[in-house]
Amino acid sequence: MYILKRFFTMILTIWVIATLTFVMMKFIPGDPFASDADVLPEEVLNNMRAKYNLDKPIAVQYVLYIKDLVSLDLGPSIQSRTRSVNDIILSGFPPSALLGAQALVLALVFGLLLGIIAALYHNRFIDYLAMIIAIIGISIPSFILAPLLIKFFSVEWGLFPVATWGTWKHTVLPSLALASMPLAVVARFMRSSMIEVMNANYIKTADAKGLSTAGIVIKHGIRNAILPVVSFIGPLFASLITGTFVIEKIFAIPGIGRYFVDSIFNRDYPVIMGTTIFFSVILVVTLFLIDISYRLIDPRISLTSKEG
Amino acid sequence: MKKLFVLMITILSLSAVLVACNGKDKDSSDKGKEDGNSSSGKAEKQEIVMNAGSEPPAIDPALATDTTSGWVLDHIFEGLYTRDKNGSAVPGLAEKTEISEDGKKYIFTIRDGAKWSDGSPLTANDFEFAWKHVLNPDTGSSFAFYLYYLVGAEEYNKGNAKAEDVGVKALDEKTLEVTLNEPLGYFETLLTMWTFYPVKEELVAGNENWSAEAKTYVSNGPFKMTAWEHDSEVVIEKNNEYYDKDSVNLDKITFKMVGEATTYYQMYKTGELDFIKSLPTDVIESEKDKDDFEIVPYYGTYMYMFNVEKEPFTNEKVRKAFGMSIDREVLTENVTLAGETPAYGMVPVGADSPEGDFRAVGGDYFEENLDKAKKLLAEGMAEEGWTTLPEVTLLYNTDENHKKIAEAVQEMFKKNIGVDIKLANQEWKTYLETTKAHNFQMARMGWIGLFVDPVVNLDYYLGDSPNNRTGWVNEDFDRLMAESKVEQDTAKRYELLHQAEEVLMTDFPMMPIYFYTNTYLMNKNIKDAAKFVNRFPFMKWAEVTEK
Repeated sequence: MYILKRFFTMILTIWVIATLTFVMMKFIPGDPFASDADVLPEEVLNNMRAKYNLDKPIAVQYVLYIKDLVSLDLGPSIQSRTRSVNDIILSGFPPSALLGAQALVLALVFGLLLGIIAALYHNRFIDYLAMIIAIIGISIPSFILAPLLIKFFSVEWGLFPVATWGTWKHTVLPSLALASMPLAVVARFMRSSMIEVMNANYIKTADAKGLSTAGIVIKHGIRNAILPVVSFIGPLFASLITGTFVIEKIFAIPGIGRYFVDSIFNRDYPVIMGTTIFFSVILVVTLFLIDISYRLIDPRISLTSKEG
Repeated sequence: MKKLFVLMITILSLSAVLVACNGKDKDSSDKGKEDGNSSSGKAEKQEIVMNAGSEPPAIDPALATDTTSGWVLDHIFEGLYTRDKNGSAVPGLAEKTEISEDGKKYIFTIRDGAKWSDGSPLTANDFEFAWKHVLNPDTGSSFAFYLYYLVGAEEYNKGNAKAEDVGVKALDEKTLEVTLNEPLGYFETLLTMWTFYPVKEELVAGNENWSAEAKTYVSNGPFKMTAWEHDSEVVIEKNNEYYDKDSVNLDKITFKMVGEATTYYQMYKTGELDFIKSLPTDVIESEKDKDDFEIVPYYGTYMYMFNVEKEPFTNEKVRKAFGMSIDREVLTENVTLAGETPAYGMVPVGADSPEGDFRAVGGDYFEENLDKAKKLLAEGMAEEGWTTLPEVTLLYNTDENHKKIAEAVQEMFKKNIGVDIKLANQEWKTYLETTKAHNFQMARMGWIGLFVDPVVNLDYYLGDSPNNRTGWVNEDFDRLMAESKVEQDTAKRYELLHQAEEVLMTDFPMMPIYFYTNTYLMNKNIKDAAKFVNRFPFMKWAEVTEK
């Protein structure tokens, strides 16, 4: 029942996002043929507008778009004259997703580790060291970190290729660059949550009962402290696997990150819609899965009833 | 051709990148190349990797409007005419060309051995089909207007005539008849453009997206496309069906799509790329004396348009005063840093005419003279009865480099003629709408000619040109341009073009700033890369030598 309800909410959310994007998009001045507009004869321009349904009233365009959307057809790209939005997403998503997944794993494993260690050594040297690393991770933007990685790992030491796509070696540097910020955020989240939990009465009780430190930390500490981090993973996961403009540009990754930005500059309406909807679907589905996973981590949260 | 604006933006954003170069630098890099050529023998592996910079929007003769797509197209196709190593138009697929006495009718004979990369014969039909495909209103080709010189072409493209009425007809498999509206002095040069390439009828007619993937791709040039990983790379390999395959040395060229200047520069340095263009600004200083570095002219003009319908630029003297009061040398050497040439006319350096370079023959149309500028400004204001100059806003499209230039110009106006202007910027597509609606006083624009002929640049300011955003219309100018297009005598044609440019520069509806350049780094073991004005290096004859 809950799952069914959630499913309909998801569909509704996506529809609202699609509609809002559609309306806002049409408010941006300029048209996709603007740089061609004055060279193309009006007659040809009209043909092209008709091809993309841009000659029809906005309401009609909207209905036509939603109709195609229901059949999972995101339409043709205006900028890449020979490719469809489905093509662009299908070929661009795998590289973006691979990098995103690798970065997420890195961020989680090392972020959690760093946060836990920092919390256990609260206000001691290791804690400060871990937090310095975290602050560096948050404050160095990826467009600085990426060239630094390239300079040392590729140019100076020749360990990895500078950029482009192909072998696993090509994925190492972009994954690292992509992971640094979320790693730092995860570490800080985990640290503060862990400190709070470790000061809770039940931990003191467990300690007083004589349980082993490892047992307390793993069973009672981490399991409780991780909840806030889990809620943060949803949006993080969605944004990581759909690619990032900066990292994909610097490392020349054939992902979809760039299309989120370029499509707006090009007024490539079908691509703006396609990428936005694609992102929201991923986000909404992830949030849904996170909700379910809460239940697994914390039995107090029930999927069937509203209490707890 | 307007798509070139977009291209220009790219070029400009990269042009932060370039550094001032004087004659000396050019000499040293030229010398370096000669040394490289004479050194050693042919390498075993004839493969090179070049950076295209971005995904080509359309590697399709009918749809391509940008130089990245054009760069790939030029390697994998060949038209009736092609270029020799010096860039002059020479017969390509046309073995023989007969021109009627009135200059309007061309009969081309397709050479024996003309084949598609899949081995099938290439016929005159393929040309007829290709050109009509470009003109077909449903194709939506932005470059269809290049074919308007053909009888019935414009009418067909605009939906007012049928395909049969267009003046291109395959008389038989080998013979193509082309009928022009008027004789055209540079038709053979025009035929080297990708819009005039043939396409295979059976392929294109049956599949609208034939050019989107390598596996459905068939072409007829020195190379053929064998792989296209979107947003990543295009691979072309030697085409063994090409009639002149013995001239082709390279087996494989990979075009990578790395957009970030620092990244492709690093890739060049680590040997992952053999050729890059548009270097990052900060490295030019250290690269410019090396043998593999080169600054090449790019056939385009960077300018500030005046809106002659809006005060104060309704007054010609005020326009000229503005044009004379900035120091273009200081600007190119300290701000744009790309070795650009200061511009005192509309037509860039690089167009050949019988008496030499068109720009050199035409000379400078004005000088930078502050006293004269102040005097003109005062006179202009007196003519209009202004005691203070109406406030001026300079509009440019949002971009770091345009901003730097605009700020420098603002400073120069203030210091040199005491005029305080405001700056404003808009995002590109919004900017295009604003300027198209003549909603500006003074605005930045760049124009790069796709083929090298003064007509391309001067046509920009025709009274009925949609590009002309200044509101300036001069009948003499329009008439001279029209006459130049039908003039059969080359010397007279150029004379008319010079006269037209003079009319333009006398009325001064825009102030030219500089002519564009590009910077290259090319691996020294590549020899015989042909560098034509306004095209990226053409690799038909190139080969890799032993290091």
